[in-house]
Amino acid sequence: MVLVLWGTLAQVHLGTYPAQRIFFDSFFVFRRFGSMRIPIFPGGLTLGLAWIVNLSAAYVGQVRRHLHKVGLLISHLGLILLLAGQFFTQVFSIESHLPIQIGESQNYSESSRAVELVLIDKSNRDFDEVTSIPSGKLKAGELSLPRLGLTLSVKKYFPNAVLSMKPELGPSEATRGVGAKVHVEEAPTVTQDDEENVPSALVEVKDAQGSLGTWWVSSALGAPQSFNSNGKDYEIYLRPRRYYFPFTITLKEFHHDIYPGTDIPKNFSSLVSLIDPEANVKRDNLIYMNHPLRYRGYTFYQASFGNNDQLSVFAVVQNPFAISPYLGCAMVLLGLAWHFLVSLTAFLRKRS
Amino acid sequence: MKRSWPLLSLIVAAGILAASFFPKHRSTDMRLDDVAALPVLEGGRVKPLDTIARVSLLMIHGRQTVHLPQRTLTAFEWLMDVMFRPEEANRENVFRIDNPDVLGAIHMEQRKRPYYSFGELRPEFPTIEKQASEFQNLKSEQRSSYQRDIVNLFNRLILYHKLQNTLLVAQDKNDLEFLAQASAFSPVPEFDEKGKIAWTSMAQSLLNLKPAARPHPAVVAYALMGQAYHDFDPTSFNDALARYREWLLNLSYERSRVQAELLFNRVQPFYFSLVVYLLVAIFIFVSWIKPQIGFERAAHHLILLAYLVHTVGLFARMIIQARPPVTNLYSSAIFVGWMTVGLGLVLERLYKNGIGHLVAACLGFLTLIIAHHLSNSGDTLEMMRAVLDSNFWLATHVVCVTIGYSSTFLSGFLALVYILRKSFQGAPDDKSDVSFEKMVYGVVCFSMFFSFLGTILGGIWADQSWGRFWGWDPKENGALLIVLWNAFILHARWSKTANRTMFMVLAVFGNIVTSFSWFGVNMLGIGLHSYGFMEETFIWLIAFMASQLLVMGLGTWLNFSHKK
Repeated sequence: MVLVLWGTLAQVHLGTYPAQRIFFDSFFVFRRFGSMRIPIFPGGLTLGLAWIVNLSAAYVGQVRRHLHKVGLLISHLGLILLLAGQFFTQVFSIESHLPIQIGESQNYSESSRAVELVLIDKSNRDFDEVTSIPSGKLKAGELSLPRLGLTLSVKKYFPNAVLSMKPELGPSEATRGVGAKVHVEEAPTVTQDDEENVPSALVEVKDAQGSLGTWWVSSALGAPQSFNSNGKDYEIYLRPRRYYFPFTITLKEFHHDIYPGTDIPKNFSSLVSLIDPEANVKRDNLIYMNHPLRYRGYTFYQASFGNNDQLSVFAVVQNPFAISPYLGCAMVLLGLAWHFLVSLTAFLRKRS
Repeated sequence: MKRSWPLLSLIVAAGILAASFFPKHRSTDMRLDDVAALPVLEGGRVKPLDTIARVSLLMIHGRQTVHLPQRTLTAFEWLMDVMFRPEEANRENVFRIDNPDVLGAIHMEQRKRPYYSFGELRPEFPTIEKQASEFQNLKSEQRSSYQRDIVNLFNRLILYHKLQNTLLVAQDKNDLEFLAQASAFSPVPEFDEKGKIAWTSMAQSLLNLKPAARPHPAVVAYALMGQAYHDFDPTSFNDALARYREWLLNLSYERSRVQAELLFNRVQPFYFSLVVYLLVAIFIFVSWIKPQIGFERAAHHLILLAYLVHTVGLFARMIIQARPPVTNLYSSAIFVGWMTVGLGLVLERLYKNGIGHLVAACLGFLTLIIAHHLSNSGDTLEMMRAVLDSNFWLATHVVCVTIGYSSTFLSGFLALVYILRKSFQGAPDDKSDVSFEKMVYGVVCFSMFFSFLGTILGGIWADQSWGRFWGWDPKENGALLIVLWNAFILHARWSKTANRTMFMVLAVFGNIVTSFSWFGVNMLGIGLHSYGFMEETFIWLIAFMASQLLVMGLGTWLNFSHKK
C-alpha cells in the first residue's frame, strides 16, 4: 500500500509513465546518493513476486488443514494466477501506436517512447535493407557493424533535446546533412503526460577508409540524411521503434461524432480494411470505442485522432497473457461468492 | 398526543413533499409554468427551459432563488428577467464573488452579502477578460485560487451575456451572425434534410430563412413573448405561448422525458431527503437522552420516507438521462448515499438496536450534502464522453466500485460510532459490542467483494477499451488501495492479530482510504479521472481525514488502556 500511495503521488510531478517505470515496473526503487544508486524500497515487481510466493506458500500449507474453506482456497489460487499473469504481461507485452491517414495503408506500428537508429541500404531497386539499432544500445561509445563494414561512434545521446537553428551559436557539431545547420541542446525529460520527448544523437560514421562525417539524428529530424560507403547509398534516421506485422491495415473512413451543439465527443469510429496475403484474408472491420480489432495476436484499439479528422490513431497491443486477468478474476470471484454464500447460510441458520 | 405525534410528523413531511409537486408560478398572470416546460437543446440534450434557469442561476449565484429586498425570485423568473427585462435584471445582485483579490482587481469593495450585479460588473469587463485570458491556458491545477476565481467569474459573465442574447432577434445580417455565435442554448426545432429535428438558435434560424418565407413558429413565439413580457402584457404573452404550445403538440420530441425533468426540478427530491435525514439523526440522538416519548418511532417513519424519496429521485435521474445511476462525481455521491442508507436499513432490520438507523441517517445526510456542493458547476445530467458511452460498463464497473465505496464508509462509520460510544459510555456492554462487531465484519466482507469486483471490472473495461488491464492510473491505484485495505483488515481479524477494538480502529482507516480514492485522486490533476484541483474540497478532505485519525487514536488509546 505504501508503494502504491508513494508511486501515485510521485506521478504528479514525474508524469504517469516515468513514475510507473520507477515504482511499479521495477524490482527496486532507487535513489541517488552521490554517484551511486542505492535501492531504498522494494519496487512493484519485487512486491508482486513476494506476494505470489507468500500466497503459494500459504496455499501449500493451508490446503490440507482447511479443505472445507474451499471457496477461499479457490480465490487465493485465482489471485496467484492474476498476479503471475500481470507480472508476465508487464515483462512481455508490447504496446505501440499506429497513426494512419484516411486512404493510407500501413503494416507496422510505432512505439510511443522507444526509438531506433536505422541505416537503410537503398542500393537495391527491389527492396531496402534496414539495419536497426534499438535506443538501449545508443549510449556514448562505439558500435561496430561488421556486415556493413561500418562503425558508428555515438558521440552524444540525449533522451530529450531542443533543436533550433541559431547561426549565432557558431557551427553545429555535425559536419554533414540537415543536422549541420541545427543546434541541439539537451533538455530534461518530460513530466507531463501530453508531452513527448525528442531523443537525439550525434553519430560519426566510419568505414574502412576513415570517417565519413558526423550527423545529428533526431526524432524531430525526419528529412533523409544520406552517405555513400563501399558503393552503396545509405540513409540514416533516428525514428520511433517500429513493430512490423504480417498483414496490412488500410484506413478507409474515420468518423468523429459529437453531441449536437457541443464539443463533447459522442463516438469515434474507424473503418479499416485488413489484408493478410498469408492467410488469404481480405475484409473490412469497424474499430470504435470499446470495440477493438483482434487479429493474429494483435489487438487494435481506437485511441486518438487528429489532423482535422483525417488521421486516426490506434493503440496496438501484443500480449499473449491477455487472458490471465480474466481467468484469475473469475476464479477469485467464484471462490469469494462460494465462501460468502456458505457463510451467509451458516449465519442465517444460526439466527433462526 | 404522545402516541400519535410520530405519525403526525410523517404526515406533515409527506404533505410538504406533495406540495412541492405543484407548479410554483400559479399566482402570476403570465403562465410562466408553461414556459418553463418548453423544450430547448443545450449540452447535447433536450431539456426544459426550467433546467437552463436553475443550472445557470446555480453557477452564477450559488443558489436556486434570488432574494431581493422587495421580493424573492425563482430561478425561472430570474431567467425571464435576464432574457426579456435586461435593464432590470442587470440591476439585481446575483453574481457571487467571495475572493477579495478578485474584488480588488475590479475595484469593488467587499459586502456583507457577496453578490454583485451585471450592471456594476460590466464596466470592469475588459479588465476581467484580460486577466482571464492570461490564465485560461494554464491547467486548472496550476492556477492559484485568484486565477481560478477570475477565470470562473469571466466564464459566468459570458454565460449571462449569452443568456441575454439567446432569444433576441435582429434585422441586420451581421447582428444575426453575431447572435448565432452568442447563444447559450438552441430553442428552435428545425428539420434537416433527412426530416430529423436539428435544434438551432433563433438567429441561425432567421439566417437560414429562404427569402419571403415565414419565420419558424418558435422564433415568432419567443419574439412575441419577449416583447409582451417586457411590456407587462399578460394577454399577448399567454396568447403567443398558447399558439406555440399547440404547434409543439405535433412535434415528435422527447416530451415525456422533458416533463419528467420539469417535475424532478420542482420536487428537488435529494434536498428533501437531505433535510429529513438530518432530522432523523437529531431525533435518534434525542431519543437516547429521552427515550420512550416517540422519537424512535418518528425517526423510523421519517427515514423510510426519506429513503423512498431518495430512491425515486435516483431512478428519475436514470430515466431522464437514460443511463445507469452513476455517470459523474455528483451522481456517485447520490448513489453512495443511497447504498449506505439502504445497507443501514438492512442492518437495522437484522439487529433492531437503532444503530442501523443512526448510521443510515448520518451518512445519508453527509453524502447528500457533498452531492449538493458538487451540483454548482453545471448540468448534473450531462452527456457522457465517447469512451464512457457504454451502458454495460457504467452499470457494472462503476456501480460495483461505488457500492464498494458505500460499504467501506458504512463499516468505517459503524466502527467510529462504536469507538465514540465506548469512549464516552465506559461501561462494557458485551451484547451490544458483539453485535457491533458482527455488523462491521459483515459489511467489510460485503465491501471486500464489491470493491474487488468493481476494480476487476474496471480492468476488464480498460482492456477492452485501451488494451491494458492495469495502467497504474491514480484512480486505479486508489481502488487497489481500498481492496488491499479491506483484505488487510479481514486478514488481521482472522489471524487474531487484531482484537475487536483494533479491528474497529482499522475499519475507521478505511474511511481515509476511500475518501482518498473517491476524491483525493481526482485532485492530483493527472490520469484519466482527473477533475482538477478544488481548493475547498481539498480542505474538507484533509479535515475529514484528520478527524478520522483522531478517532483512530482514541480507539487505540481505549484498547491499550483497557488492557491494563
